[in-house]
Amino acid sequence: MKMKTISLFTIFLFFILSCNNEIEGTYYENQIGDTAYNPNTDNKDFKFCDSTNVLHKRALIKYNGGEKALEAELLNKFVFNPKFEHFSGYFIVRFAINCKNKTGRYRLQTLDSSFLKTKPPNQLSEHILSIIKSLNGWNHPFYKGKDLDGYSFFTIKIINGEIQKT
Amino acid sequence: MKTTILILSFFIFCSKSFSQVNCYIYPENSRERKACELSDEALKYKQGSKESQLLFDKAITLGPKFHWAYYEKSVPYFKRGFLIEGLKLLNEAVKLKPLDYLWYRAYWYWQYKNNELCIKDLETYYAMPKAYIQFTPGGEKDMRIILGLAYAKTGNYTKGIETILNCLNSYKTEDDFGFADYHSLGVLYVKNKQYDKAIKALKKQIIINKDLADTYYYLGIAYKEKLDLKEAKKQFKNALLKFQDTNKFININAGFKVYKSDILEAIEKLE
Repeated sequence: MKMKTISLFTIFLFFILSCNNEIEGTYYENQIGDTAYNPNTDNKDFKFCDSTNVLHKRALIKYNGGEKALEAELLNKFVFNPKFEHFSGYFIVRFAINCKNKTGRYRLQTLDSSFLKTKPPNQLSEHILSIIKSLNGWNHPFYKGKDLDGYSFFTIKIINGEIQKT
Repeated sequence: MKTTILILSFFIFCSKSFSQVNCYIYPENSRERKACELSDEALKYKQGSKESQLLFDKAITLGPKFHWAYYEKSVPYFKRGFLIEGLKLLNEAVKLKPLDYLWYRAYWYWQYKNNELCIKDLETYYAMPKAYIQFTPGGEKDMRIILGLAYAKTGNYTKGIETILNCLNSYKTEDDFGFADYHSLGVLYVKNKQYDKAIKALKKQIIINKDLADTYYYLGIAYKEKLDLKEAKKQFKNALLKFQDTNKFININAGFKVYKSDILEAIEKLE
């Protein structure tokens, strides 16, 4: 009898849990792109000025001197390594900026030349990440008269292990 | 062009106020109808919000052949740097209805700097018998101009020029020209070292829209290459003045953008 009750309870519990998961494996932040702090990868000193109002308006976040200056800095800091040579593709770099122009929460996506998900050489990813973390010409969004936090992204194109001017 | 902009503004206004699809075209109680209604519901929430994405998921589960839900769900991913997620969804919409979504995928390929894939999708699209005129989501450029610019980005200036000329020749009146179309044509002529044609196209651009600083810069380059240094200097200075003008026109999706530093450098080299 006791076993039967436990079995029924288990089935009931399974049913309830299934109902709560609207679609299996799907989880969404409040807004696509909201990026939670990851203690393993993120700088603990990076803080939003107001975490309740972080803009998803890429056009409002600009680099000093524009895309030209950004690319020039990337090219200038990039050091080619023969281990990178076999990689051609794209790094999509997402990041957050706070109202004091500090950046953090960097996330990378890597795609091959056909825009399929791919895995680049580890040293290349680490090198790209260290360069983008060193960029300090970003400007926070100024929106409706307020200095705000925001999220942005940019693309880095690589052919045969070398960053390309786009 | 003004008429086009007005019509586009009207559509953008409508799309913000109402649904973009008419769910009544699907039979009552059909999976597509239910998916359509759920997608409509999703649009009532902020784009990219958890609420809207969950409703699109429901729509896709109920009506997996309802292409529009995949498309709408993909948009915030593209806008926020989640290319892999965006493409996964939009590819489904393209598979279901290539005529409606190929050009849109091409636009994002262009945005994420993959000119080869942009060209591939647009060539496929324009080869379709029912292909019709498409503009960038902001409405500022015919997608054939983007195709021309994408060819140029891969170094094929001749094909880029041919594509833009074909586009401009297809318009019935000059009112249909975009605010920077002749600028794009002129830039490609400069890149292709056809300086006389470049000057002609860029001067025409100034008649259509005189507020683009970049046009004067490229005009200056063309004159410089023709060794008319006096006129080159004049145009570079015009570029600088326009650049500092608060009413200057911003050429979105320019492809070959000019920066203040480029203009200053050009002036300095001449002095």
